Amino acid sequence: MKKKLFNSLRGLLLLTALVSVLFPLVWVTLASFKTPSQLNDPSLLFFDPNFENWLYVIDRGILDAALRSATVATITVIISAIAGSTAAYVISTYKAGGNATRFGILAAQVLPPAVLVFPFLTLAYLTRVNDSLLPLIFAHLSFVLPVVTWFLIGFFDSVPRSLEEQARVDGFTRFKAFLLVVLPQVYPGLGAAVIFGFTLSWNDMFYGLILTPSRSAILPVSIAGFNTFRGVELGAMSAAILVAVVPVVIASFFIQRKLVQGISGGAVKF
Amino acid sequence: MLIPLLAVSVVAVGFPLVYALYLSLTDFKLIQKGTANFVGAENYIGSFADDGFWGAIGTTFTYVALAVIIETALGLLIALALQKQKWARDLTRAMLLAPMFITPIAVGLTFRFLLNDQLGIIPYLLDGVGLSYDFLGSGRALFTLVMIDVWQWTPFMVLLLLAGLESIPKQPLEAARVDGASGWYILRRITFPLLVPVLSVAILLRSLDALKVFEYVYATTRGGPGTQTETIQYFTYQTGIQFFRLGEASSMAFILLLLVLPLIVLLFRRLKRSPR
Amino acid sequence: MGTVSLKNVKKSYGSTAIVEDLSLDFPEGSFTVLVGPSGCGKSTTLRMIAGLETVSAGQVKINGKDVTDLDPKDRDVAMVFQNYALYPHLTVLENIAFPLRATKTPREEARQKSLSVAESLGLGHLTSRKPKDLSGGQQQRVAIGRAIIREPAVFLFDEPLSNLDAKLRVETRSELLALQRKLGVTSIYVTHDQEEAMTLSDRMVVMKDGKIVQLGSPLEVYTKPNSVFVATFVGSPKMTILRGMSDGQNFTHERGSQFKFPSDITGPVLLGVRPEEIALEPSNEGQGRIELIELLGPRAVITVSLGESSVVAVVEAQKLHNIFLGSRVSISFSTISAHLFSEDTQLRLN
Repeated sequence: MKKKLFNSLRGLLLLTALVSVLFPLVWVTLASFKTPSQLNDPSLLFFDPNFENWLYVIDRGILDAALRSATVATITVIISAIAGSTAAYVISTYKAGGNATRFGILAAQVLPPAVLVFPFLTLAYLTRVNDSLLPLIFAHLSFVLPVVTWFLIGFFDSVPRSLEEQARVDGFTRFKAFLLVVLPQVYPGLGAAVIFGFTLSWNDMFYGLILTPSRSAILPVSIAGFNTFRGVELGAMSAAILVAVVPVVIASFFIQRKLVQGISGGAVKF
Repeated sequence: MLIPLLAVSVVAVGFPLVYALYLSLTDFKLIQKGTANFVGAENYIGSFADDGFWGAIGTTFTYVALAVIIETALGLLIALALQKQKWARDLTRAMLLAPMFITPIAVGLTFRFLLNDQLGIIPYLLDGVGLSYDFLGSGRALFTLVMIDVWQWTPFMVLLLLAGLESIPKQPLEAARVDGASGWYILRRITFPLLVPVLSVAILLRSLDALKVFEYVYATTRGGPGTQTETIQYFTYQTGIQFFRLGEASSMAFILLLLVLPLIVLLFRRLKRSPR
Repeated sequence: MGTVSLKNVKKSYGSTAIVEDLSLDFPEGSFTVLVGPSGCGKSTTLRMIAGLETVSAGQVKINGKDVTDLDPKDRDVAMVFQNYALYPHLTVLENIAFPLRATKTPREEARQKSLSVAESLGLGHLTSRKPKDLSGGQQQRVAIGRAIIREPAVFLFDEPLSNLDAKLRVETRSELLALQRKLGVTSIYVTHDQEEAMTLSDRMVVMKDGKIVQLGSPLEVYTKPNSVFVATFVGSPKMTILRGMSDGQNFTHERGSQFKFPSDITGPVLLGVRPEEIALEPSNEGQGRIELIELLGPRAVITVSLGESSVVAVVEAQKLHNIFLGSRVSISFSTISAHLFSEDTQLRLN
């Protein structure tokens, strides 16, 4: 009897959580298809969808902003994957760098952006690259690279040392052994790390707001831009939000399992 | 083989960090461009004396404390509930974890309008039962922002705690069952102590992350009413970007870093201690 | 072609020496087994030959060439690890062919070679499987296939049979031996299992604490162990060691029992006798009492108490009919089969 009670409570809790999570998302989705007059009635659930908002945001360059976000994220992630996997490998296998390196990686991840943003801004002006996406890429690297490295150390830890040794005896250099034998073992982890890193970069607004000129804003900044003095173009903003949110949420569905592994392998353990 | 990492780190983190320190010791104003006079500790002294700065620190710490406590408690409950779930496991988990992946500005703006008097659904529903609540009004705004944080980041706690729960060896639990221990007892005396390492790491990680809160403020209150929701990242942003006082802003950032450093060291120690 | 030579090789970590001043030659075509308890340095020695461990001092030569500072890939050795180290992401065929990629062998040729090696090891029908879908014995054969495809100068084996169950271990042992005989490649094999060492080697090297304590053919090491350690390490059940005094005519056990044992040695000694050399005769005046009878099929291991010492004997099953737990027996052994060791040095005396 008691068991049944607990089970129903448990179910209720999860149901409430699910509803709380989905509720705002559903509401935003609905809002993106409403006309301004329909928006005045928040309780309106069933109506004919109107695509005006979507056309509006596309017209206002949301896709360009999304492209910029994607470009920055992709470059950041590629550099992070290369530098991060090699570093994670040597840190895991040879304990390279000792405690100082690992502390540095951890600290870089949790550093408040306020510390680094001003030098990035200043340096960008001084080297005259302030009009490009370059400073933003560097800024994003400052937190994505450590996260990817940290994540991968855990995965490399689970690859037996003898695999690399076997490859070396079989006739390969240390580096080739890493590339052909060790790295393939962490491909799933690398995939999750890449998607996770991409998400982190895609979602950043603070650096984006400060380091890129407003006419070439990245996506999150662009969304904030629909928060104008005219009051909010709510419908348009909703559409813009969905452009940013949907790809990432879909991606998250895929990496959910590996994420648990990676975070528990890297963040919880050492 | 560490060279790529080292190279990128130096460029992306190391050098900027040092440069930030340099900036904090000057009176650099972005509009002037070029002449930056060395003013030593003047910025730091100024920041220390600035009530607004300490107000922001206080606001932020209150925010973090509230948010993390609620997220930990809720996260633990949900993680425990998820662990026992049998059907639609992956789907439920994926859905519950989704908020973590949404760009925070979008979350802030969404809630701003969910809670809006005229256009938002929540006041509408509250009105339906005869209640009215000014979410972003004086005395309440900070807590509302805390709840936004809770909505977005409880899944993070759930993620870590779930991983922690699933890594607890089953044998001690089964042995306790066989010995006749009740569910509550097992939870309190066995599960919980074994979860402490994960819990402390999760709390530290989340706290360090919550300190950076900016987007929710930017989306909703812009620091108001008054300065009630001026968090430190927002305050620094204003000082540096809106008032162009980069030197001062840098000094504030460094003071924050100093305050936060003990937490980072604590986290590092905790992680080292965890058994593989 | 494959000779290996170690000269004054030493390996230490900080101030701890794992291997000390080891010199050893491995003739071409020989099958040498390094055997000893955990921590004796046998694996470290093997890894130094492979190049996976650096040498703190001394020289390693393969085929007369000094390879001490060379990478494993330049030493022309093949190695089989205890856990086989099969590449999980490659098929059986690709695993076996993998070493040929390093020598830039053309794809098709590598495939053909790999296929013929796989077939010769009975793996022909498994070539497109991944390691996780293979049994332990099959995995082991893939590891061996990968080693032989290179036609190296030397084979190195690091406890390759430890992960197999007892029965499979014995079967694979004979297969390994037959393979080595057929290929004639110099093989160096590490194990902690003395039985394995005895059956496989034509030369046995017993190691302890980083040093070689005895070197010889299995028969030599078994019949003439040069120390108590070797005597009790090799041979199962263990040799019985008794403390006592020798007066040239007899050996008197510290507990009083006397055995006829003419020798040149007088004074305190340790007497060693192998279980199969001990004869037990039920007798009411016997010095020993039966403590334990363990039946092993055709034979039984009998533990007899002699005062506070234990004597272990092996007896044919047929003889068990008049031996019971608790009954008194007299112990005898032929004098040529007994060994005398000095108590202080633990070394052989006779």
